Amino acid sequence: MANMADVLLDLRNVRAGYGDSVVLDDLSLEVKEGESLAVLGRNGMGKSTLFLTIMGFTRLTGGSVSWRGEDITRLASHRRARLGLGWVAQEREIFPSLSVEENLIVMARPGPWNLKSAFELFPRLAERRRAMGNQLSGGEQQMLAIARSLMINPSLLLLDEPLEGLAPIIVEELAASIGRMATEHGTTIVLIEQHADVALSLTRKAVVLERGAIVHRAASEDLLADSKTLDRYLGLKLEVI
Amino acid sequence: MLGSMAGILFDGFAYGMLLFLLSVGLSVTLGMMNFINLSHASFGMLGGYVTVTLMQQLGWPFLATLPAAFVISALVGMVMERFMFRRMYRATDLDQTLLTIGVVFMSIAGAAYIWGTVQQPVVMPDYLSGSFLVGGVNIARYRLFLIVVALVITLLMIGGLEWTRFGAQIRAAVDNQRMARGLGLDVDRTFSLTFSLGSGLAGLGGALAIAMVGLDPGFAFAYLIYVLIVVSVGGLASIWGSFVAASLLGICDMAGKYYVPQLGSFLIYLMMVGILMWRPVGLFGKR
Repeated sequence: MANMADVLLDLRNVRAGYGDSVVLDDLSLEVKEGESLAVLGRNGMGKSTLFLTIMGFTRLTGGSVSWRGEDITRLASHRRARLGLGWVAQEREIFPSLSVEENLIVMARPGPWNLKSAFELFPRLAERRRAMGNQLSGGEQQMLAIARSLMINPSLLLLDEPLEGLAPIIVEELAASIGRMATEHGTTIVLIEQHADVALSLTRKAVVLERGAIVHRAASEDLLADSKTLDRYLGLKLEVI
Repeated sequence: MLGSMAGILFDGFAYGMLLFLLSVGLSVTLGMMNFINLSHASFGMLGGYVTVTLMQQLGWPFLATLPAAFVISALVGMVMERFMFRRMYRATDLDQTLLTIGVVFMSIAGAAYIWGTVQQPVVMPDYLSGSFLVGGVNIARYRLFLIVVALVITLLMIGGLEWTRFGAQIRAAVDNQRMARGLGLDVDRTFSLTFSLGSGLAGLGGALAIAMVGLDPGFAFAYLIYVLIVVSVGGLASIWGSFVAASLLGICDMAGKYYVPQLGSFLIYLMMVGILMWRPVGLFGKR
C-alpha cells in the first residue's frame, strides 16, 4: 500500500455515466504525486468519461473519488479545479469570445505557471496573444487549451487526446512540451492518447480501458515492448515514427 | 423647422437613453444567460417606487435615492435569481415565459396594493428642472442629466465587460459553462452577480423614468414591450446594440408623436418589423 500522502487522486470502484447509461463500471485508479500515466483504449471505451467523472461532470452512481485523501465524490466541479485538478478537454473548448491572453488569465491562479512561463512553453501563443479564441488554428487551440489549464497551476493535469488531429510537426512539438512539463516541472500528468507509442514514451505507467473498466496495468516502457498486449487491446501494430 | 428637428432629436435621444437603462440588463441576461426574463421591467418599476418612497416618506434628496434604487433592485433580483429563476435556466422557453409573466402580474398587484393605482408625483430638485436654450434648441436639464448618466453607464458596462477579469469570466461562462467550471469558475455565482447587476440597472432606469414618463403599477407591462423591442432590435447580448436600438426607438417615438400624431406609437412597431425583416438577429446580434 502506497503512502497515503503521496496519493493525489484515488478512484475506488467508480460507477458513472450519463443519465441512465453506465459508461464506467467498477473502475479503480490511483495517481501518485509526480507520476505520469497513460490511459489507452479504443474509441468509446470510456476514456473521456473517466476524465469527466474525475472533474465531476458525469452522474456517479457508485464508488468514491478522493483527492489527497479527502473525499470529493460530491464536490462541485469548480471546487475540484480549485483544489488542483487541471483538465484539458478533448474538444479543446477554447472560449471564442476571449482573446488568447484572456483565455490564459481568466481563471489563472498564483503559482509557478504564469503568462511568462506559459509563453516560454508555447512561444506561438505569445505571438498570437491578441487574437480571439475563434481565430486560432487547431494546433494553436491545443497549445492554448494546455496552457490555459496550466495557468490554474494544477497539481495534476488531465490531458484528453492533446495530439488528436494535429499536423505531424506540431505533434512532435507538443509532445516535447508535454514531456518537459512532466520531467522539468514535475507536473503530474494523466494522458489519454490514441497514438499509443507517443503516449507510452511520454509516461511511466499505463492502463488500458475496455468497456469502462481497467483491463491491463503496466509500466509504459514494458507495454511499449509488449506488442502482443497492445495488439490485443488496441488492435494496432506499432509503427516506429 | 431645423430647431424643432434638433429638439426632437435631443428629446428622443434622452428618451432612448431611458429605454437603454431599462433594457440593457435584459440584453445581458437574455442574450448571455439565455433566460427569458419578462419581469425585467418589474425591477424597473421597483426602482421607481424605491425613489418615490424615499423622497415622499423619508425626505431623501432625489440624487441620493438613485443608488438606493439600484441597490435594492439588485438585491431583490439576486434573491429571486437564487430561489426562483436559477431553477429555470434549463427549463423550456415556455416555462420561463410563464414563470416570469406570473412575476409581472404579482409585481403589478403588489405595487397597486402598497402604493395604490395612482400616478406617483415626484418633484425634481431645481438644478434638474427647467431648461435652457442652445442655438435655438430647448434643452431640458433633466433630459441632459439622463443622457449623461446613460453615457457614463454605457462606458462603464462596455469597459467592465471587455477589460476586466470579471467581464472575461462572464464571457467565458456564457461561451462554455462546463469548461469554465472545469477551470474553477463558480458559474452560478457569476450568473447571480450578472443577473443582479442587470436588475439593479433596471431599477436605476425606473427611478430615472418617473420624472419623464410617470409611475404607476402599469409600468411593468408598458415598458416590458419597449424593453423587448430594444433587445430584439439591438441584438441579443450586445450592449452597443441596445444603445443604438434604444436611441433609434426613442427618436422614432418622439418624431412620430410630433410629426404624425395620428399614428401614435405605431411608428416604432413599424420600425421594429422593418429592422427585424432586414436583420432577423437584430442590428448587432450574432445569432
